[in-house]
Amino acid sequence: MSVLSVEHLSTQFTTDQGIVRAVRDVSFSVEKGEILGIVGESGSGKSVTMFSIMGLLAGNGTVTDGRIILDGEDLSPSAFSSEKEYEKKMCAVRGNQMAMIFQDPMTFLNPVLRIESQLVEPILNHTKLSRKEAVDRAIELMGKVGIPSPEKRIKQYPHQFSGGMRQRIIIAMALACNPKLIIADEPTTALDVTIQAQVLELISAIKDEFGSSVILITHDLGVVAQTCDRVAIMYGGKIVEQGSAEDIFYSPNHPYTKGLLGCVTNPESEFSEPLHPIPGSPPDLLKPPAGCPFLDRCPNAMRVCRDYMPETTVFSDSHFSRCWLNQKGGAAG
Amino acid sequence: MSEAILRVENCCTWFDVTRGLFAKKQIVKAVDNVSFQIFPGETFGLVGESGCGKSTLGRTIVKIYSPTSGKIFYKGEDISTLEGARTKAFRKQVQMIFQDPYASLDPRMTVGEIVREPMDIHGLHTAKEREERVVELLQIVGLKPDHIRRYPHEFSGGQRQRIGIARTLALDPEFIVCDEPISALDVSIQAQVINLLEEIQKKMGISYLFIAHDLSMVKHISDRIGVMYLGHIVETGPSHLLYSKPLHPYTRGLLSAVPIPDPRRAKERRRIALSGEIPSPINPKPCCPFATRCPNATEKCFQAMPPTVEVDGRQVACFLYEEGG
Amino acid sequence: MDQTVRPHDRPLQLPPDAFELLPESEKNAEFVAMESRTFFQDAWRNFRRNRLALVSLCFILLMCLLAILVPILSPYTYDGMDPSSLNQLPSLQDWFGTDKFGRDIFVRVMYGARISLSVGFAAAGINLVIGVVYGGLAGYLGGRVDLIMMRVVDMLYSIPSLLYIILIMLVFGSNMFSVLLGICISSWVGMARLVRTQVMSLKEQEFSLAAFVMGASRSRILFKHLIINSIGPIIVSLTMMVPSAIFQESFLGFVGIGISAPMSSWGTLANEARMVINSYPLQIVWPVLSICFTMLALNFLGDGLGEALDPKKR
Repeated sequence: MSVLSVEHLSTQFTTDQGIVRAVRDVSFSVEKGEILGIVGESGSGKSVTMFSIMGLLAGNGTVTDGRIILDGEDLSPSAFSSEKEYEKKMCAVRGNQMAMIFQDPMTFLNPVLRIESQLVEPILNHTKLSRKEAVDRAIELMGKVGIPSPEKRIKQYPHQFSGGMRQRIIIAMALACNPKLIIADEPTTALDVTIQAQVLELISAIKDEFGSSVILITHDLGVVAQTCDRVAIMYGGKIVEQGSAEDIFYSPNHPYTKGLLGCVTNPESEFSEPLHPIPGSPPDLLKPPAGCPFLDRCPNAMRVCRDYMPETTVFSDSHFSRCWLNQKGGAAG
Repeated sequence: MSEAILRVENCCTWFDVTRGLFAKKQIVKAVDNVSFQIFPGETFGLVGESGCGKSTLGRTIVKIYSPTSGKIFYKGEDISTLEGARTKAFRKQVQMIFQDPYASLDPRMTVGEIVREPMDIHGLHTAKEREERVVELLQIVGLKPDHIRRYPHEFSGGQRQRIGIARTLALDPEFIVCDEPISALDVSIQAQVINLLEEIQKKMGISYLFIAHDLSMVKHISDRIGVMYLGHIVETGPSHLLYSKPLHPYTRGLLSAVPIPDPRRAKERRRIALSGEIPSPINPKPCCPFATRCPNATEKCFQAMPPTVEVDGRQVACFLYEEGG
Repeated sequence: MDQTVRPHDRPLQLPPDAFELLPESEKNAEFVAMESRTFFQDAWRNFRRNRLALVSLCFILLMCLLAILVPILSPYTYDGMDPSSLNQLPSLQDWFGTDKFGRDIFVRVMYGARISLSVGFAAAGINLVIGVVYGGLAGYLGGRVDLIMMRVVDMLYSIPSLLYIILIMLVFGSNMFSVLLGICISSWVGMARLVRTQVMSLKEQEFSLAAFVMGASRSRILFKHLIINSIGPIIVSLTMMVPSAIFQESFLGFVGIGISAPMSSWGTLANEARMVINSYPLQIVWPVLSICFTMLALNFLGDGLGEALDPKKR
C-alpha cells in the first residue's frame, strides 16, 4: 500500500485579482521507501500541492476537491467536520507522521532559541520520552545527520551554524519522530554545489536507514537524476507526465518534459550541445486555459489542445503522460 | 593572440569590517591577488561557491568598488586613473547585467523609460531616434513594442531579465559583466537567456565576463573559465579541458558535486567528497585557501601560498603541480 | 490506481480539424499577466478599501473647503463684535453661539481652521523640502559627510523646541511666520532621518547600481531613482507631520504665545473659552472638537496611506 496517495487534488487562492487555481486535479502516490521527485518551474503548483497535503495553506487558500490519504488515513480537509478538528489532527500529524524540510532553514529556526530546545520540543510533543531521553535522542539525531561534536553544538544558536549545517539541523528535526513521509521543498536550492551534494547524499542515506518515503520538490533536473526513483513533472497546476527516473530522462513523452531536458546541458559531455529553450513564459493561473496549460509554448500545439485537457495515456505501470499527441493516430510525437 | 580587452593584474579588493574603535582590525579579503585576461569576443566564465568573491571581482571591474591594490586595464588603460570624459567613455563601453531581475529595474519607471535611460544619460540620438531604438532593442530580446508603457512588476522574471539585457545593449557596449544573470530564473527561462546572450555576442562581438555558480551553464557559454575559492583564482583554462581534466583538487571536487541530468551516469560516477565548508574570509591565513578541505593537503599547504604554475596551457595554483613537487 | 480518467471527462466529440497544428499566431506565449496599473492607481485601489481613511479624507477636504468659504460667505467677520448679543447659546443666526465680545463662534472656528490648517500644511511642506534634500544627501553620500550631517541633526534635536520657539517669538513677534519657523526648525529632522534610511537601503539595490554602471550622475541617481522610490514612506510621514504641526500650533495658542488676537487659531480660541469655562462651558467645546476630529482624521488618513503605499502589502 502506498504511504501517501493524493487523488484529484485541487487548490485555489482567492486574491484581489481573482481566483488563482494553483493546483488542478493532481493525483499521485508515494510508495514506501522511495524518493518521488516533483519537478516544475515557479508557479507550477508544486509547493502549493505540498502545503495542501501538510495543511499549511495561507489563509486565502482552500482545497476545493480531492482526497489525501496518508497511510490509510484520510487527511483531506473535507473529511473533517470542522476546520478546528482538521487543524487539531494536522498538528498531531505534522512533525510526527509527516515532516517537512524547507528551502530556507532560517525561516524555520527561531534565532533566539538554542538548537537544543528547538530539537527537543517536537520530540517531547510527539513521544512519551522524558526530557533527559529526548535530549539524548536529539544529540543522537544530530550525529546521524553529520553534525560534528553534537553534544557541544546542541547548546548553540542557529546563527552559529552555516547554511549547510542549518539544513542538517532541519533534517534532524524532521527525523525526530521517525516520520513515514518527509516532504523536502527545494532543500538544496539555497546551498552551494558541494554542500548540496552532501545534503542530497544525507537525504538518500536517511531514506535507507529510517525507511521513510521522501517527496523531493525541485527545479533542478540534475538533482532529480541523482536522487529520485520516480518523477512527476508539473506544469500550470497539473501533472503532465509521471514515470520512473529512467522513463523521464530516456524516453520522455510530453513536449514540456522534452523541452525541459533541452534546456539543460550535461557538464560531462565533450562538446557543448546547443540549448533548446522553451519559448515564452509560464501560463497565468488566474485565467487557466481550458485545454492543455502548455499550449502557448508547445511546438506541437494543435487545435484540440486549446479547448480540451488531454487524457492520460498509460505507457507502463509507472509511466503516464497527458498529451493529445498520443491520441493523434496513436503515434507519440 | 590579439591584445586583451581586459587585463586584471594582482587585483585585491579588501573590506575593512572592524567593529568598534579599539577592536582588532578585521579585513575581509573578498578578492585577493587575482590576475587574468579576457580577449575580444571571448566569454570568460568565473565560477565558485557563494562568498568566494566572484561578484566582488565583477563589481571591481565595472568600478563599483575600487581595488585595494593591483591594476585593472581596459583596452590598455588603467581604469582607476580614469577621470571625467574618459570615465564616461568607459561607462559607455562596459556594462553589467545583474542577478536579480526583480531588483535591477527601477519599479517606478516604465519599460520604455528603463531601456531609454542609458541613451538619455549619454545624450545619444534625438528623441525620436531613441524611441525607435527602444522598440528595436525590445524586439532583439523578444519583447513586443506595446510593452513599452508597462511597469517592470507586471512581467515575469525571465521577461524582466530580458528588459535588463535590452538596457545594457542600448549603448552598444563592447564588454559586459554578467553577474549571475540566470541564477534567479527557471530552468526553461535560463536557456532562453543564455541563447539570447550567445546570439548577441555572435552579432555584435561583445566580450563577456560570465559569473555564475551553475557550473553546467558556465561550461556551455564560456570559452575559458576561472575557478575561484575564497578570493583566489585557483585554476584557469579552456572550458572543455577544465571540465574533462580538472587539475586543482577544488575544481575536481566541485565538478564531481555538480548533479548531471542523466540517472544512469549519476549512479555510476564517483563523487569526490569535499568535507567541511568554506572557511571565513575574515583575516585569512597566508596559506593555500583550500588546505582545510583538500584531500591532498600536505604540511606545506598550511605554511605557504602555492604559486600559480602553467600546466597543459592552464594556470593552476597548487603545490601538486609545482616544479619537482 | 492514480491518474485514472474521470468519468465526466468523457465522452468527447472532437471537431474534425482537432489534430491540426495550431498556428503560431493563435498562441500567446509572450503575454503579460497583470493588467497595467501605475503605482498610484494601485495605491488608490488599496486606499479605497479602507473606509475609515476614506471618510477621514472626505472630512479633511470638507474642513478645508469650509475654512476657505465660510469666512467669505458668512455675514459675520472674525473680529466683528456685537455688543447686543454676548455669550449667546447656539441659534439659527449664530450656529455655535457668540463669545464674550459677541463675535460669531462658528466663523471664528472656521477662521481658526484656516490658520491651523495652513500652519499644518505649510510646516509639512517646508519639512518635506528640507528633510528630503538633507536626508537624501546624507544617505547617498554616506561616510564622513553623513556622519557630520547627522550629528548636526542630533544637536538640533537635543534642544527643547519650546525654548527656541519662545526666543523666535520674542525676536519676530507672535505671528504666523514665527510660529511656522519655530515648528519647522526641529521637525524636519524626522523626515531627514526617514529619507536617509530609505536612501541608504535603496542605494545598495541593483537598480541604482545599474544606473551607476550606466554612467548616471550622482544627482540623477539620487533624485530620479532613490527619492522617487522612497515616495511611499515620505507621503505617510508627511500626513503624520500635518497633525503634529497643528497640535503644536494649538498648544502654543493655548498657552498664550501663539498667534495673537483678534486673529484666532483653534488653540487661541480654546484659550479664550477657557477663561469663561465656568459660566459658558459650551464655548470651549467647538475649538476642542475641531482639533480632535482633524487630528483623528489626519491620523487615520496617514495610517490608510501607509497601508496603501506599503509595497509589502501589495
